[in-house]
Amino acid sequence: MYCVSKLNCKKSISGTITHRREIVKQIRAHRSMADTKSGRHASTSAATPLLVQSPENLECKNFQEYLRTRQTPESLEKLYSYPPICLAVFRELPEIARQFVIRILFVDQPVPQAVVSSWGAQRVAKEQLEATNCLSALSVWRVTAIPGGLAAWELSPTFKKSVRQVLLGGGKPWAITNSLERDSKPRDVAFLDAYAMSRWRCVLHYMVGTGNRSNTETEAISPDAVRILLHANLMKRDEREGITITRQGFQFLLLDTRAQVWHFMLQYLDTCQERGLVLAECLSMLFQLSFSTLGRDYSSEGMNKQMLMFLQHLREFGLVFQRKRKEHRFYPTRLALNVTNKEAAEASISVDEERMQERGYIVVETNYRVYAYTDSQLQVAVLGLFTELLYRFPNLVVGVLTRDSVRQALRGGITAEQIVSYLEQYAHPNMKLVESAIQSKSCLPPTVVDQIKLWEMERNRFTYTEGVVYNQFLSQNDFVTLRDYAQSQNVLVWQNERTRTMVVQKNGHDDVKRYWKKYSKSAG
Amino acid sequence: MESPDATANKEDEASIDLLAIVLDTNPSQLIVRQNPQNLTQILEAVIAFGNAHLMQKAQNKLAVLSCSHYTTEFLFPLPGRQVELRQIDAQYEAFSLVEKTVKQQLGSILMNAPRLSAPCESLLAGSMSMALCYISRLQRNVPAGVKMHSRILVITGSNECASQYMTFMNVFFTAQKLGIVVDTCALDKTLSLLQQGCDITNGQFLKVNQLDGLLQYLLWVFLPSPQMRHKLVLPPTPKVDYRASCFCHRELIDIGYVCSVCLSVFCKYSPICTTCHTIFKTPGPLPIKPKKKKKIDKN
Repeated sequence: MYCVSKLNCKKSISGTITHRREIVKQIRAHRSMADTKSGRHASTSAATPLLVQSPENLECKNFQEYLRTRQTPESLEKLYSYPPICLAVFRELPEIARQFVIRILFVDQPVPQAVVSSWGAQRVAKEQLEATNCLSALSVWRVTAIPGGLAAWELSPTFKKSVRQVLLGGGKPWAITNSLERDSKPRDVAFLDAYAMSRWRCVLHYMVGTGNRSNTETEAISPDAVRILLHANLMKRDEREGITITRQGFQFLLLDTRAQVWHFMLQYLDTCQERGLVLAECLSMLFQLSFSTLGRDYSSEGMNKQMLMFLQHLREFGLVFQRKRKEHRFYPTRLALNVTNKEAAEASISVDEERMQERGYIVVETNYRVYAYTDSQLQVAVLGLFTELLYRFPNLVVGVLTRDSVRQALRGGITAEQIVSYLEQYAHPNMKLVESAIQSKSCLPPTVVDQIKLWEMERNRFTYTEGVVYNQFLSQNDFVTLRDYAQSQNVLVWQNERTRTMVVQKNGHDDVKRYWKKYSKSAG
Repeated sequence: MESPDATANKEDEASIDLLAIVLDTNPSQLIVRQNPQNLTQILEAVIAFGNAHLMQKAQNKLAVLSCSHYTTEFLFPLPGRQVELRQIDAQYEAFSLVEKTVKQQLGSILMNAPRLSAPCESLLAGSMSMALCYISRLQRNVPAGVKMHSRILVITGSNECASQYMTFMNVFFTAQKLGIVVDTCALDKTLSLLQQGCDITNGQFLKVNQLDGLLQYLLWVFLPSPQMRHKLVLPPTPKVDYRASCFCHRELIDIGYVCSVCLSVFCKYSPICTTCHTIFKTPGPLPIKPKKKKKIDKN
């Protein structure tokens, strides 16, 4: 609590929770629906965890965000000397940015900025700005001055060289493509798919704790994998129960397999320095696998010791198949292909390949009933996160999506999007044959999808703003002066003239306080 | 809530872009006759352009057809199993596959081509219909929920082929109906027929003046997918000449005779339609209607 002359001024962050509640209540009372619809007030993130119980959510970064946040321009430059990384970076760029890069790829001198900006239409200037910012942030190009004093863009020479090599050839071949003798017993795609999925499921089963029950097909996973799970906060060490799954872990389970692999690999790369691996080499290797052809064998000949170790780890998670540890031949599996891009992977699956994919087992009806033809503990556990389970049979689980069950999941930090995409991903093949499913994009009943989204929106009616309450003004004049000042500074959150109360944003508090002191001094 | 624009963007990112390139390899093209090296240069540019298209998105697809005076062949992809091939340099595996296959196929086509005594015109319209067939076959196999945007790019240095007028028009209107964009890159002369086709299907028509800069032209004008072309500044479309060419002398005409069966256009009257062989009656002087007798007269 602290007082400024005769005015009571409660600093909410140091105040008790009840004060905070009051403020929130006031804000709630005031906010109209229109206000919340139009959107997000700048709510300071520091306040949110106190107000609502929203734990750290699973943060899924795409490759671009990863590079932006984790890498410095120097280390990016180092990464760009590997053509596979450049190809991956290129494909992650926004569409306009890709066009720009292609257009200056074969231009040897820097291109004036004005020229580049004239390539895009005026209408999409904002999008264009995003694209150019993205290219700068990833150090794909940089500003140089050209004679005449104009600012110009120039592609990073390393990036340019690597992309040209990828496109037109030249340079050294990628590390994994040493020639091999023909495999006497080549592995087909179906086998690789089955292998990859069984390996990956091992990790998932371990997470929900079903791997412990000695099952013939599930093996325990290595301490290294456990360490990654712990590092990624997907599991935590509990004194009493040993290692248990966290909230993020459950969110992780809801992701589709590809997103899971990508998230997992990012976490792995975070810890690769500790293992003595070079990040650039690992990334390069990962993308070489990502751009390889399914059902084809590659060679690990000539790799250094660290890379061989990396390969063994990939083998454990099912990204590559290798008969024996010592063998130089390995096959990348579907898990490794197109790791960064979900859409690409989905679209590239042609019809006859589709049945190789994991069979869907979930039927959702318009009455919110969910039937899951499964006996897997893992799948039941995941389903139980957002449905109310009614019956269990040896091969069938029946549940129902209710407001309570879905809200519980939402409270746990799972998003409606995740629930819907999970249901879509594992939808029973027959669901896809329904007339409405063929016409629309989703095979789920639209009412159910909409309702789940509405349930989520219900929770987003409030926006939280941290603020400071000013009240107990002695005169209306004082109040009006201070309120108008706060308004002119754009820091006023809420005010009521009758009770002479106003709420000011926390970051504006100092300013308003100073003004009040000056004002009251001059008045008094 | 995402803006509709962002959603559209997302969808575009997820969709498959199929590009079918119809490459005119007819040796009787003027630019090839002047300098056979030109064909190699064009081929290199087309391969690099095709690969640039594949590089855009992992799910993009490419088809290259060769069109000559006697046949149309697929240069890429080949039916059946792809050639087994190992990387020899840092080029991406899939790209080297395109390059090797296209070169190999075209080589064998040119070797087996019958000798020409006189220049003949390329079967462009036929090749385009083949491309349409290929596109519609792929379209059927697209998994549910995935969108596919297709387009055809014709690269040719041939002259106007008015004799294929009918096929061309069929191709254009089919493409329009299927939502397939037809782009044309003319290397030698302005082709008014193909220009019409581009206009009908919202495609781009470009006449390249310098063959040296071909790749850069292709990358600039034809690489962006039709969905994102409105975001870029592309050369403005010149006024399209919608005059039909007459079938007898292949000249553009303003007023002419039209066959009532197949709508072929002629500048002079002919008793038999050369396209559909319909026989017409000789146009005599217009029959004069006998004047109706006035009722008053009769009474």
